[in-house]
Amino acid sequence: MTTLSCRHVGKVWPGAGGLSVTALSDVDLTVESGEFVAILGPSGCGKSTLLELIAGLEPLSSGRIAIDGKSVSGPAPGVVMVFQDHSLFPWLSVKDNVGFGLAMKKVPKPERERRVARLLERVRLSKFANHRPHQLSGGMKQRVAIARALVESPEFIMMDEPFAALDFQTRALMQRFLLEVWLEFKPTIIFVTHHIDEAVLLADRVVVMSAGPGRIIEEVRINLPRPRRMTDPGFNDFRARLTETLEREVMRAHVEDELRLVSHAA
Amino acid sequence: MTDRSGTLERIGAPVAQPQAPEALASWEKGVLKAFIPWVVVIAIWEIAAANGWSGAVLFPPPSSFLRYALESDFRVGFGGDAMPIPVAIVVSALRVLVGLAIGFAAAIATGILISASGAFADMVMPLVRGLAPIAPIAWIPLGIMLFGIGNPTAIFVVFMGVYFILTISTVAAVNAVDQRLIKTARSYGASRTQVWTRVTFPAVLPQVFTMLRINFFAAWMAVLAAEMVGVKNGLGMMIILGREMFNTKLILLGMCMVGATGYLVDALLVQIQRRILWWQPAP
Repeated sequence: MTTLSCRHVGKVWPGAGGLSVTALSDVDLTVESGEFVAILGPSGCGKSTLLELIAGLEPLSSGRIAIDGKSVSGPAPGVVMVFQDHSLFPWLSVKDNVGFGLAMKKVPKPERERRVARLLERVRLSKFANHRPHQLSGGMKQRVAIARALVESPEFIMMDEPFAALDFQTRALMQRFLLEVWLEFKPTIIFVTHHIDEAVLLADRVVVMSAGPGRIIEEVRINLPRPRRMTDPGFNDFRARLTETLEREVMRAHVEDELRLVSHAA
Repeated sequence: MTDRSGTLERIGAPVAQPQAPEALASWEKGVLKAFIPWVVVIAIWEIAAANGWSGAVLFPPPSSFLRYALESDFRVGFGGDAMPIPVAIVVSALRVLVGLAIGFAAAIATGILISASGAFADMVMPLVRGLAPIAPIAWIPLGIMLFGIGNPTAIFVVFMGVYFILTISTVAAVNAVDQRLIKTARSYGASRTQVWTRVTFPAVLPQVFTMLRINFFAAWMAVLAAEMVGVKNGLGMMIILGREMFNTKLILLGMCMVGATGYLVDALLVQIQRRILWWQPAP
């Protein structure tokens, strides 16, 4: 059992001319092993920053993030990241992209090739092993990125709006695909999105964040049976509840911005 | 979870199908389009010369200077200085290519070292930026004084002409590397050194190579100028020899070879660029 815990996590970005920006403030979050957690929030609420802190890619400004009680102080082997634009290395073939992490960790070539081949088989891209990323469609690229994460047998996969750039059809297929591999490999997934439907469809639990500074304002357990469809009874209740929270939050942020402008003008 | 195959096959088709069947036809059309203006220009030139219009002596047409090349057995110059034209072409082209290759490799290495060193960059960059505007041709006198007359001078001139500008270009390219690629690499366990060698280095190659191609013509001119003023062979020497002998056929033959060789070397760079930039659509 691997538990991720964030306690009073804060992040301040130093800005130009001494103007620093508080991206996150006092974030508390616990994620159990094998859980699928969606983080929902308006743009600029620090969702991506939180993922990068958990992945050890950026230092914390305050608080503590720990995996199994051990503080995160840099990229950890069991925690991998999948970005929105898939971030495949354009100069590497599909197979070398998938094997990138294993190569960095000096995994012997025969074992590396075996594991990569198995994952490519699983994501049905064996035929494209020697293609370059630019020869693939958007959905295929994202499948390569997911294979690159899964080949590490990670405990945590951080996904930063992974399907945001895909068209509606491809997005629906990729959501199903992600659930398949999640059930099969059972990693813990923390999935950032600004799509309410996507969050309810995929996650065990939805965490709603506020904007500027990012804080967690609501946590909703989605206790709908799987596989879920958007037409399921109960789906709408969750959608309505989250929509309301999010709209209230967006309005509040908007009004605060306006007030700030007014006070500046005065 | 029931129909897996359906899920995946629909995302299946690759986007880029290299080489459509009609690609060849359009390629031929392109060559044809490129040739027509040449044919027109040469035709006017030949007609003007054949009708004895003024300037025919100063500007002998291709039929005249190409025949001259044939009659002189593709050799120019006298005695010990005599040199076959193909050798002149190869000598000039090699000088510029060797200079470019050394300049490119050195600039990438320097640029990456400067970027990696942080505070050091603030000290070195003004120096590099101060030296970059010096045109390749301006290095010729110093090159001749340092290396005498010969290949090292020509290569030195090309190197100095491209090294600083490509170093600046490398530093700019390093700053422009997609941060998400770097974060991805670190997330997958790449060390600081591995990020430089496995991500930053391949990521900056295309941009710096494009800069190399842009600066090729300046380097090419510098080699020819060096050959004209001192280095005693190559295509530049051919033209200056023509001037010394008042042989306009030789001058125009030399100019024609300079143009053709420059064009071919540039085409070679495009091919190299396509190999290095294999992941991007053709430039």
